[in-house]
Amino acid sequence: MCMWCERYGEGFERWYLNPANYARRLYKVRKEEIEAEGAEANPQAAGGMLGVGRDFLEARERGDLETVQRLRKTVQDLSWMIHFGQVVTVEEVHQILEFMYPIGLMTCACRRSMRGLPNDDNWTCIGMGPGMYKWERWPETYRGGMVFLSPEEAKEVIDTLNRRGLVHCLYTFGTPYLGGLCNCDYPDCGGLRTVLDADVRVVWKGHYIAEVDTEACNGCALCPKRCQFKALNFSPSTLKAYIDPMKCFGCGLCRNVCKPNAITLVDRATLPALANVW
Amino acid sequence: MLPMIHVDDAKCPDPLGCRKCLLVCPTRVLGLGTNVAQKKYQETDPSRYIVRGVRFQVCTACMKCVEVCPNGAIQVTLDRGVAA
Repeated sequence: MCMWCERYGEGFERWYLNPANYARRLYKVRKEEIEAEGAEANPQAAGGMLGVGRDFLEARERGDLETVQRLRKTVQDLSWMIHFGQVVTVEEVHQILEFMYPIGLMTCACRRSMRGLPNDDNWTCIGMGPGMYKWERWPETYRGGMVFLSPEEAKEVIDTLNRRGLVHCLYTFGTPYLGGLCNCDYPDCGGLRTVLDADVRVVWKGHYIAEVDTEACNGCALCPKRCQFKALNFSPSTLKAYIDPMKCFGCGLCRNVCKPNAITLVDRATLPALANVW
Repeated sequence: MLPMIHVDDAKCPDPLGCRKCLLVCPTRVLGLGTNVAQKKYQETDPSRYIVRGVRFQVCTACMKCVEVCPNGAIQVTLDRGVAA
C-alpha cells in the first residue's frame, strides 16, 4: 500500500486523485512551513538541483555505508515532508486536469539548472492551484513567467510532452499539497537523477508496472528508448522487449508507442512482491 | 576515484549566457547554481550564477569542458592533485 494514499487518500483511489490535496487551505499551511525553511537556502545545493552532494558520493565510493544511509535518510525525510514526487500515467494526468484549477504552463527549473536552457526551449512544467496567481501578478520576475491553460489546452500540452518521451510526475510543495506537474527525463530532472543516481527516493514509483505480452510483441524495439528508468531493454535472444519490474516506475510511456498493444500496465498492488516496492 | 572539478568564478562572468561547458559535457556532470540564496518570485542576477560539478560519479575526466571554456576557468584533476 502506498503510504501517501493511506495518509491522504481520504477514500479516493489514489491520494493524488483527492482534490483536497490541491486545495487553497493546504497552500496556506505550506506557505508558512516553507518560509520557516527558507532561511536555510543553500546556494551550493541549487547547483544541479540535486538532493545529495559530493560528501554522499565520496562516502559511497569509500564504501562507508553508514554515512551513505544517514545522508540518504536526511535528504529523503526532508524531501517527503516538503517536496517530493510520484510518477503518474498520462490517463491520470488527464483526470487531474479535470478537477484542478488553475493550470499554468511554466519553464523547467531543473533543466535550466543542468543546461542553462533558455526559456523558449523549456516550457515543460505545469504549475497547479492557487500558487499560480502570484506568477501571473509578477510575470517578468520569474523565469519568463507563466501562461494559464484551459484543461483542454493542458491535455494537449501533456500529450505532446508524452510523445517527446517525458515522464509525468506530481510534486508536493509542503506535503500533501500538490502544486507541480513536471514532465521529466534522466538525467536533466533533479528528481529522477537523485532517485536513479543516488537511490534517494525523492520520486516515488507510480502505482503501476508495465508488463510485456511476449506473444503480442512484434520486436519493433521502439519502446526501450521511451524508458527513462533503465528498466526496459530489447532482448537479442528473444527479439522481444524485456522489462525489469523492480526498476519499472509505471509511467506507461513504453506502452504509448507499442503498436500491437503488447505492453499493459498492471496495478502494483496485485503483485505481492512489488506491492511495497516504491 | 571521483575527479575534482574546480571553477574559477572570477573567470566565468556569465555562465547562464555562455553555458558552453554545460552543453559540451557528454555525461552532464556540471550544473548551474547561484552564489546567493534565490529569492522567491525573483530572477537572480545573471552575475550571481556559478558553475559547479554535480555528477562527479560519471565524470570521465575527458577534459571537454576544460577545452571549451573561453576563459580557462575550469580545472579537472584526479586524485593526488595530478592534473589529468
